[in-house]
Amino acid sequence: MKLAELTLLVTLILSLALMLTFAYNYLAPTPEVRNLALFYLITTYNPQLPYYTVNSPEAVTAIVWDYRGLDTLFETAVFYLALIAGLALARRLYRENPVSFLSTNGGLSIIVKTVTKITSPMIIAVGASIGLHGHLTPGGGFQGGATIAVAPMVIIITFSVFYLLTRKVTTEKMLLIRSIGLIGIGLTAISVFIIGLAAGRLAFVFQNMPKANAPMGLPGQVNGVLISGTLWFFNLFEMLAVAAGFTMAFAVLMLAGKER
Amino acid sequence: MAVDFAGTYLLLVLLSSLLVNFVLSIYGIFFKPHFTKKVIALTILSDTLNTFAIYIGYRRWLEGVNPRPPVLTTTPTWESITEFSRRAVDPLPQALVLTAVVIGLAVTLFLVFLGYILYMHYGTLDMREIRRLKG
Repeated sequence: MKLAELTLLVTLILSLALMLTFAYNYLAPTPEVRNLALFYLITTYNPQLPYYTVNSPEAVTAIVWDYRGLDTLFETAVFYLALIAGLALARRLYRENPVSFLSTNGGLSIIVKTVTKITSPMIIAVGASIGLHGHLTPGGGFQGGATIAVAPMVIIITFSVFYLLTRKVTTEKMLLIRSIGLIGIGLTAISVFIIGLAAGRLAFVFQNMPKANAPMGLPGQVNGVLISGTLWFFNLFEMLAVAAGFTMAFAVLMLAGKER
Repeated sequence: MAVDFAGTYLLLVLLSSLLVNFVLSIYGIFFKPHFTKKVIALTILSDTLNTFAIYIGYRRWLEGVNPRPPVLTTTPTWESITEFSRRAVDPLPQALVLTAVVIGLAVTLFLVFLGYILYMHYGTLDMREIRRLKG
């Protein structure tokens, strides 16, 4: 056995052992969750604790964009860098000139095309609903954006990538929407800080609700409708960024090598 | 009895299948010579670890107290919140997995672009061939 294979085998066994060590307490789930989870569950939407709550009934979105918001900001940065790296690799492989005339004979059959035309607006509507209701129901910006990005992918497979281009869904436009989303995320992250600066009160970056020593914050409800402060805006902008980023990446992937 | 069976044995079956998946995907990443198969094994690995994280945050199913998603659907009084915290599963692993899935998709796209460039340079995606050609 070669040394490399032996090393690999040892690594496999050791990592399995490590995984089992971590999993030992959780081999069968316990009836109780950890205290940290209890804190999240009790304070996520609890108007009786005004300085701890996020005013979001969905604990997962509350963790993603409020309790651990900085993590998610850097994860968005990783997402951004991965897409930029992919596009940079493909930068000389495609040239984007929308064709003036597109043959209707290409692509899949007329049945598939009609079904795609009917369902792709529905897919986009469902994705927008998932993203914009992320603070109320399971979902959020990431999932909504990924759902929306399914629609252009289906269109690319059913028709052609040039069909998207003739419909003015170009990579420049997607880059613009994605930049709007990323700038919006950045501005939302410092919005309460700017409000605090303007009002001359203490406020923090990535603050959402008023805290005991920092009384500034965005409203949890508007006209009795929950928007959970910054969470709604984060979900909106993240949805734009994810949807446009994936659409751009799929289009470039399909364009690559076609017009060299 | 049925609840005990579901709460213990079925979840143990799930855990052991996760471990098998883990081993298979590691094997695929290191020993499969083709680039595309390595990428597929990598996605299997990330999905396995995501499922494992959700499994860790799960809550045992007792008689009469079934676990719920961590979404509060009632008016937020102290009674309903206490009941909610007695039943809901741990939301933290789900929050970590949520972002990991989308980032995994972006990284997979990057690897696909990388594979495209590799194929253009070498004319093959076989890693043994690429190692032999050495740039």
